Amino acid sequence: MTAPADKFSAGIEAIDCITPFGDATATTAALLANRRALELTPVLGRDGGDLVPLALTGPMDETLSPRWLPLLKRMAAGVPAAAWGTARFPVMVTSSNFGVGSFYAFTRDQDTRHLQHGTPSSTIELIRAQFGWGEQVHIFSHACVTAHLGLAQAARLLHAGIAERVLVFSFDFVSPFVAGGFHSLKILNGGMPAPFSCGETGSIGLGDGAAFAVLTRERTQFRLEAHALHNEMFHFTSNQPDGVGFDNCAAAIATAAGGRRVWVKGHGTGTIEAGRLEAEALARHFPDAPLTGWKGSLGHTLGSCGLVELAVAVAALRTGSIPGTVGSAAPTFTDNVALEPFASADFDGAILTSNAFGGAHGAMLLGHD
Amino acid sequence: MIERFLHHVCVELPAADEAAAAARVRLAEKFPRNAVRRMTHLGLLLGSTLDGVPLGPGDAVVFASTFAETRALEDFLKSFPSASPMLFQTSIHPGSVQQVLIGRQQPIARLWPLAGRARLVEHAILTALIEPVERVALVGGEERGTWILEHGMASARSFAFGTLLTSDAVGAAGRARFTPGDGADEACPTLERFAEALAAREPLHWQGAGGEFSLEWL
Amino acid sequence: MTDSLPLELKELIIATLKLQGVAPGDIPDDEPLIGSPRLGLDSIDALELVLAIEKKYNVKIGNSEESRAALASINTLAAFLRPRAPGA
Repeated sequence: MTAPADKFSAGIEAIDCITPFGDATATTAALLANRRALELTPVLGRDGGDLVPLALTGPMDETLSPRWLPLLKRMAAGVPAAAWGTARFPVMVTSSNFGVGSFYAFTRDQDTRHLQHGTPSSTIELIRAQFGWGEQVHIFSHACVTAHLGLAQAARLLHAGIAERVLVFSFDFVSPFVAGGFHSLKILNGGMPAPFSCGETGSIGLGDGAAFAVLTRERTQFRLEAHALHNEMFHFTSNQPDGVGFDNCAAAIATAAGGRRVWVKGHGTGTIEAGRLEAEALARHFPDAPLTGWKGSLGHTLGSCGLVELAVAVAALRTGSIPGTVGSAAPTFTDNVALEPFASADFDGAILTSNAFGGAHGAMLLGHD
Repeated sequence: MIERFLHHVCVELPAADEAAAAARVRLAEKFPRNAVRRMTHLGLLLGSTLDGVPLGPGDAVVFASTFAETRALEDFLKSFPSASPMLFQTSIHPGSVQQVLIGRQQPIARLWPLAGRARLVEHAILTALIEPVERVALVGGEERGTWILEHGMASARSFAFGTLLTSDAVGAAGRARFTPGDGADEACPTLERFAEALAAREPLHWQGAGGEFSLEWL
Repeated sequence: MTDSLPLELKELIIATLKLQGVAPGDIPDDEPLIGSPRLGLDSIDALELVLAIEKKYNVKIGNSEESRAALASINTLAAFLRPRAPGA
């Protein structure tokens, strides 16, 4: 059994995201309209390229000034002002890839300027300089659960009295490096992802995504009330076949949720085995909760997915309608998969989950007035 | 003031020219035979520092590395256009510590992989200190790069450290402490400097993250 | 393709996956390649092997399900390759 969930409540003072649809409000509207951001796009392969589902905010080419920088600047304009990057106002940056695509660009044209933002630390130095942040920028990198770590750590720093407000800043943008890597794993294939749908073959899509949240000790309308984490350490790319890893994390967050009526936003990338294990575990621990997932439209935004999808969840709650699992169709692995939008008024909280390589699991409890 | 006590302090500072193949031979007995084949230099060194430290599903691990899986990254880049799935998988942070724990088939509660550079050590220590679970392994390290090193984007040295932090002072080798205060940030030790201090049982003190960090030996 | 294909495949497996202390004779023709304790190969090894096979024999193995089926054993792999890559 894993450790119990953290129950350090943190108010969400501000939150937003950027996807190919736009900000959180625009993204939620697109999901409610059942629109798909993913398009079949050529990615590197032995024969000059295969078509795979990608949701891009722009062409994937690695330019000398990174293509993601203007988008992050645009999003950062919405961050409330504070002495970000100082001890009382630290920043948690979460990403899986940072600017690693620049290394690939360097191998293509040998322009050393690409290397200035290839590593996590050099990427953050570029961003710090652009945004005027101080040095207190904590950098987390744990693949697709990374955003959960940043949010959980932010809550801990607030609870410990070390920080007054914390900015969690998350991003991952697709590059030939990343797309080529996932394509080599044969999970980024020619079919559109259909999260939680029964099928013989599965495929993921990759998407550009960035998001921020400012967390505070003050009580706000929307709050992160608990965080659960678990690491199976069974295999790099597959989960324990009995689903115990999913069960451990789901049990911890279910305990924290108490008897609350919740809906669940799952990880749901479109793979078959993990999707089935996830759906079944969530159905076991939240039998009355509709299960939804948005990667069938937005693609998998990797290290930023936990925060991008949290921003969408908050925006959706403001509308009163929660998007269904875009891109999926019956039959589904479990009966609780929501294929259509549903009203949030019937619920008083939400569970949001993510999973990652190495059998890493993250879950958070979103509460609201 | 938040403090934890250091138990089992182990540091790997191999010869500058040690390659992964040599480390595999030197350290093979510490790992399952099937796992060693695919382990990177950093994975082997980290695993060596955790040898004899049992971890459990209620424990946490904090992992700090600026450059992480440098050699896998270098080789993955060279494998294009036929991108190698094994090198891609291996290059993903925090692959090295996962190599060790997956080799042991050892689930843990929480893994906190930190990247960064200038203030990486204090962020890693702070993460370990505010972890609610009783046992936290604090590990970190780098592996020496080749062509990426020529451009300053890798470590010039391979090294690793591992220590177990608990609230139990009995039998502890040292103590890590954070005391909140108003002092301005001072230079934070580099990851390599921190590893050397652990190896030499050398005390460290500096201001950072809104307080004073201290590493003391008992 | 000649009768030497199974041997050729075993040598490719040993070289690609750096199986030290393993000889071609240690790899049975009809036992599972992936997941068996004899060789200790997993799904990542399978993918790396698929890449090597695709390059050597100029074939395409599509998705992870097709890879799994082709790599069930040396015999199934050889049977998969023979119609798709005639001649050595």
